[in-house]
Amino acid sequence: MTFSLKRTMAIFQKDYKDVSKNMYVSFTVVIPIFMAFLYGWQGNMTIDMHYVVFNMTLSLVGAYVQCSLIAEEKEKNTLRGLMLSPASTLEILAGKSLLTFITTMIIIVLSAYIVDYQPESMGLVAVGMILSAIFYIGLGTLLGLVTKSVMEASVVIMPFFFIFTFGSFAAGLAEKFPILKVAEYMPNSQLVELAKAVEAGGGFGDVWTYLAVISAWIAASFLLAYATFKKRMMD
Amino acid sequence: MSILKINDLEKHEEHSLVFPAFCLEVSEHEVVAIHSSTNVRTVLVKLFLGELPVSSGELSINGQELTKSKDAYFDQVGMYLLDDGLYERLSVKDHFSFFQKLYGSELSMDEALRMTQLEPKRNIRLSRLTASEKRRVHFGRLLFQNPALFIFEEPDQNTDLETKRVFLKLVRKLSEKGKGVLVLTGNMESALSVTDKVCRLDETGLHVLDVVFDEETTDAPSKEEFKSEDQIIEEEIIIQPVRFEKIPTKVNDKIVLFDPPEIDYIESNEGQSNIYIKGEMYPSVFTMTELENRLHPYGFFRCHRSYIVNLQKVREVVTWTRNSFTLVLGDAKKSSIPLSKTKMAELKGMLGLK
Repeated sequence: MTFSLKRTMAIFQKDYKDVSKNMYVSFTVVIPIFMAFLYGWQGNMTIDMHYVVFNMTLSLVGAYVQCSLIAEEKEKNTLRGLMLSPASTLEILAGKSLLTFITTMIIIVLSAYIVDYQPESMGLVAVGMILSAIFYIGLGTLLGLVTKSVMEASVVIMPFFFIFTFGSFAAGLAEKFPILKVAEYMPNSQLVELAKAVEAGGGFGDVWTYLAVISAWIAASFLLAYATFKKRMMD
Repeated sequence: MSILKINDLEKHEEHSLVFPAFCLEVSEHEVVAIHSSTNVRTVLVKLFLGELPVSSGELSINGQELTKSKDAYFDQVGMYLLDDGLYERLSVKDHFSFFQKLYGSELSMDEALRMTQLEPKRNIRLSRLTASEKRRVHFGRLLFQNPALFIFEEPDQNTDLETKRVFLKLVRKLSEKGKGVLVLTGNMESALSVTDKVCRLDETGLHVLDVVFDEETTDAPSKEEFKSEDQIIEEEIIIQPVRFEKIPTKVNDKIVLFDPPEIDYIESNEGQSNIYIKGEMYPSVFTMTELENRLHPYGFFRCHRSYIVNLQKVREVVTWTRNSFTLVLGDAKKSSIPLSKTKMAELKGMLGLK
């Protein structure tokens, strides 16, 4: 079986048209931009505050849109049609992930522009963002496979949304509660640390550990998603 | 060369038999309908989809078996299933262009729109279409897929006339192109409208129905001709040296022939005699008296002025009062049939009771 870019693009275009008419999802996409405006008006923001917006974008757009795209196919009984078509599972997921990825990137660039965020090294931050987006897409795929409808998906995503958006604050409490030290290794905290290191003028040598941890999260989410998929298809 | 090959396929569910081993082949240019209950149909569909394993027997499409190569198998077959969904927010055009790219089809959009009669609706969202129009979008999907075998599950259930017409035209075109078509339905009328090759599948096995194309009504003769032809037929029957063994019934423009033992009972309603077989009603072309005479040798009994019953199927004789009786049949519906008190004595005599 060869990977067909044509079929992937067909699924991408179909989903793009579908999502653009779906108020339920497109409204969610707009929320981070609202947040960016709110923070932007307040002015002189810290790195932490910038990254609340970015992490919110990643979890709301990256994970939630991916999750609802898959959940809706299941809810409307269209996934079986796709599975019976010549398109392989990989092509179906690639088409959907591509859409989510592009949307996430657009929203991040937009909100970065709104909050006037200019990192010292654009390249390193971009790599961090892209890796994070891939992790959240993996997470969204995993949740989409577990949930059965868009409604269920929007409930399931909530705890993840809170953990990954505001979880980085938990690291601040780590002195009081040693257990919260774990929070430092969350992908969102790692992204913030990376940004801080970049802001302090660090090069690739200083930030590669953060990128490595995020990559480990990516591997974990994709492995889990794959395992879930295998298990679900057996039913 | 046959496209669909079913060999000794058999299915048990828990401890009950869904259908015994049967063989069926659908070859190129052929349209076959399987008339069955919903339960049997669901099991069949699941077997085709691979959701239920084929435990005994073989099922192959164009030589491809599901267990050997899933992709090659699903390349050969296109299915329209009742619970298939569509993208409610996309227009018909969006759907067709998606299917076109997904299946890498050569079929042009206009051609598909024309064949499904959806041209005026091309820019309308699916959520605003009627259920019948949505079904035509599904048919469009199969056109783009263009597999060797088409399977339709209840294609014209609850649809408007336009969709029925589109479907019949589509099936005719597909069979002309050398495709195999299999229609699964619970409605005998819909099965007969699609094809002459109708099988009935139930727990007793697969029975092929004898369908004779009725040319009388298709030619639409005048009343007088009709009458004279009727007379000719009657005369022929009288002349016929061998007794005619099958009982003809009329469904639309076709005559379906039944073996007398298949019949459960016959009911007369406003001068029309209706033959009941497995809960389905078929209007008969004969009068009650004619039927009684024909069926008497097969163990049929005129138990009431407007009922003839197949005695083999009678399970119980219920006595309500001294003068009122009911016959309960052993069929799935446990049909009950009135028995006149004058006929009771005759029945007792036939049963060897005093």
